[in-house]
Amino acid sequence: MTHPQRPCAIELTGVRKSYGDKVAVRDLTLSIPPGELFAFLGPNGAGKTTTIKMIVGLLRPNHGIVEVCGQTIALNGLAAKAKLAYVPDQPFVYEKLTGREFLYFVAEMYGLSSATRDARLEKLVEQLDVSEFLDRLTESYSHGMKQRIVLAGALLHDPSVLVIDEPMVGLDPRTIRVVRNLFGDLTRRGGTVFMSTHILDIAEALADRIGIIHRGELIAIGTLDELRREARREHSLEDIFLELTGGATCPKR
Amino acid sequence: MPEAITAIAPGNRLGLLFRVRGRSVWNRALVAVREAPVRLTTAFLLIGVVWLGLYGLFRFVFLQLEQTPLEAAVAIPMVFNFFFLAMLALLSFSNAIISYGSLFGRSESSYLLTLPVAPLDVVTLKYLESVVISSWSVVLLGMPLMFAMAELRDEATSRLLFLAFFLAFIPIPGAIGLFLSWGIARFFPRKAARSITIVAGIALAVLVVGGLRTLAPQDTDQAAEVWLQSFLSSMSFVEAALLPNNWVAAGIDHALQGDPLTSLGYLGVTLANALFVGWLVVRLVARHFDAAYDRASASRATGTRPASNASGGIAGRVFFYLPKPLRLVAAKDLRTFFRDPAQWAQLTILFGLLVLYLTNMPTMKLGLQATGWFLMIPFLNLCAVSLILATFTCRFVFPLVSLEGQKLWLIGVLPMRRSRLLWSKMAFSMTVTLVVAVGAMVLATTMLRMDITWTLIHVSVTVAICFGLCGLSVGLGAMLPMFDESNPARIANGLGGTTNLLISVAVVAVSLAGILIATYRSRHLVPGMIPDVVSLACYVGSMTVSVLAGIIALYLGGRRFDQAEV
Repeated sequence: MTHPQRPCAIELTGVRKSYGDKVAVRDLTLSIPPGELFAFLGPNGAGKTTTIKMIVGLLRPNHGIVEVCGQTIALNGLAAKAKLAYVPDQPFVYEKLTGREFLYFVAEMYGLSSATRDARLEKLVEQLDVSEFLDRLTESYSHGMKQRIVLAGALLHDPSVLVIDEPMVGLDPRTIRVVRNLFGDLTRRGGTVFMSTHILDIAEALADRIGIIHRGELIAIGTLDELRREARREHSLEDIFLELTGGATCPKR
Repeated sequence: MPEAITAIAPGNRLGLLFRVRGRSVWNRALVAVREAPVRLTTAFLLIGVVWLGLYGLFRFVFLQLEQTPLEAAVAIPMVFNFFFLAMLALLSFSNAIISYGSLFGRSESSYLLTLPVAPLDVVTLKYLESVVISSWSVVLLGMPLMFAMAELRDEATSRLLFLAFFLAFIPIPGAIGLFLSWGIARFFPRKAARSITIVAGIALAVLVVGGLRTLAPQDTDQAAEVWLQSFLSSMSFVEAALLPNNWVAAGIDHALQGDPLTSLGYLGVTLANALFVGWLVVRLVARHFDAAYDRASASRATGTRPASNASGGIAGRVFFYLPKPLRLVAAKDLRTFFRDPAQWAQLTILFGLLVLYLTNMPTMKLGLQATGWFLMIPFLNLCAVSLILATFTCRFVFPLVSLEGQKLWLIGVLPMRRSRLLWSKMAFSMTVTLVVAVGAMVLATTMLRMDITWTLIHVSVTVAICFGLCGLSVGLGAMLPMFDESNPARIANGLGGTTNLLISVAVVAVSLAGILIATYRSRHLVPGMIPDVVSLACYVGSMTVSVLAGIIALYLGGRRFDQAEV
């Protein structure tokens, strides 16, 4: 699945991040090859968002190295960020810009020519169905609308690595399907998707590999089948997740 | 395959960031013009009226000063020196708060840092933005002072020079503020609240001890000339050559004396230093921005467990007179206030300034022969306390309604009229300001050894001004809110905040004008004598103006708040 022209991946080596006495991420080593959709799971406060923020360069690890597209983020962040896109769980848009103005801003930030920008924008606008509100101020958007605009902005420069925190929250079923297709399209073309989610069905359906983090430690990693073998059960991802993270006592309906 | 993305060099995204900011401002203006033209026009008209009123007031004061040339020759340069020294301190503080919020607290910074944009561009944008946001209202307030002086000296060309001095000066406190905000983020993020508490507590303790020391008996019957000389001597530090306020004041003084070349020289010194310090600080902060951002984020991520629930208990007792729903809202405000170090650190510093002022106030007995400068001291004391109160209410009380922001839906579904929320804000702000202001006024009247009649008059006027200022800030806060903003400093410096500041200053000015007339008419009264009917009418009129301003603002704010869609 690796694309010969896009030798990019996410590489974390012995990464540790602590906030005072609290260790948020403990000696995390993770390698995600090009063309893979990686789902990162964990209970609330497990260290998912801290890991993501270290990958995108918002936080600096206390120990270890984070590399994106072969660039160490702490040393050559701009080069890495040029090939990266990040969609946080709380999408950021400039409230006093229209969706189109925001997307133009993003395109210019990544140095896209007008022709490339317009061509990609046309396609994304159609796929994500944002044309109806594209020329309205984003302050009037619902959470789902903002999420769609931010997704369009993230995909506009055709990133090699897409890091996304809770991608499906607030989206309607049609858009969820579109986003799944967009992720699939990106990985087929050699891109890498690093996705944090609590919706285990999505992870089960989309992910090539799944990592489970608990109390800052990566406690399991592999394909769904590998995780099943590890858990020695033919269970759903939900059962495996709950068993590994100590939530198995939760009664099943 | 995608087109190649070239390496992004630092600096070449700054123009784009400014264009986006400009577009946002333009869109905001269009929305305001389209959706609330009357409100916008009224705000601009009020600003214009108040601006002209201040211009007239300053012109009158300078005209009075000109009638005593000796005092004017000493006082006028000192007025500008003190004015710009105060601006240096206040703007540095204001810039520090705004820079901290916009660099280390706003989601925009997090977003920009994930894009291929150099930290230098982000820091430069935020620095200039902070300078504009924190300074524009001050420039607006300061220009009447400058223009009145230029008009008086018939130096029309000085006006442009004065504006140039303002613009050359404001990057300096901007750079100091940026540096402070970076230092706070970089060096004490994890226990910011505790660190600020300790520093502010020590500062306050020193000030209070100093203040109590000055309550000790002193020589009370100094001659006016001796006192004035001693006062000017103790204030000579403001003329230190390295202080920027001195360059600006000296430049203005030379312009007024018809020496534009020397004035231009001082302008050059101010501008060169402003550009250098701005460049240096922006570079320094940008170079070490990642580490500061990381530590600031870490302090947010760990969260802080409130030391105790004392504020809730205190609120329950302090606001005992409120009905339960309003008491709960006031208690929530008090908790929020005490858990936000940026908020109460500002209060501590403002309160510290008040104590500093009181502890440095000359203590003397108002003798029967007291005239001229001596007679002005209690009045100037009232002016200082009123203006500090106005700063307090504009900074802390005005943002209270806006800070409810996106949580207004919660208030909207509560089983009470929304405007009642304003009364809880009013009670909260009145309680805090009354404790501070009346305490300060009683302390001041004690130090000045004023008799009971004057003490009662001054305390009553202070209470009325408190009510007026709190009512204005709460009412205008509801009429001109910024619900999409979570930074109190930015709310206070917005169009609504500036309108509130100008109206508050105007109400204080009108009230104090009445007190000034009454004080002047009462200058020959012996202690214990009741002022004449006209003087009493002036006092009552002054208090009525303040109280009416507060009531009208609260009424209009309440109406608008009830009708607002959330």
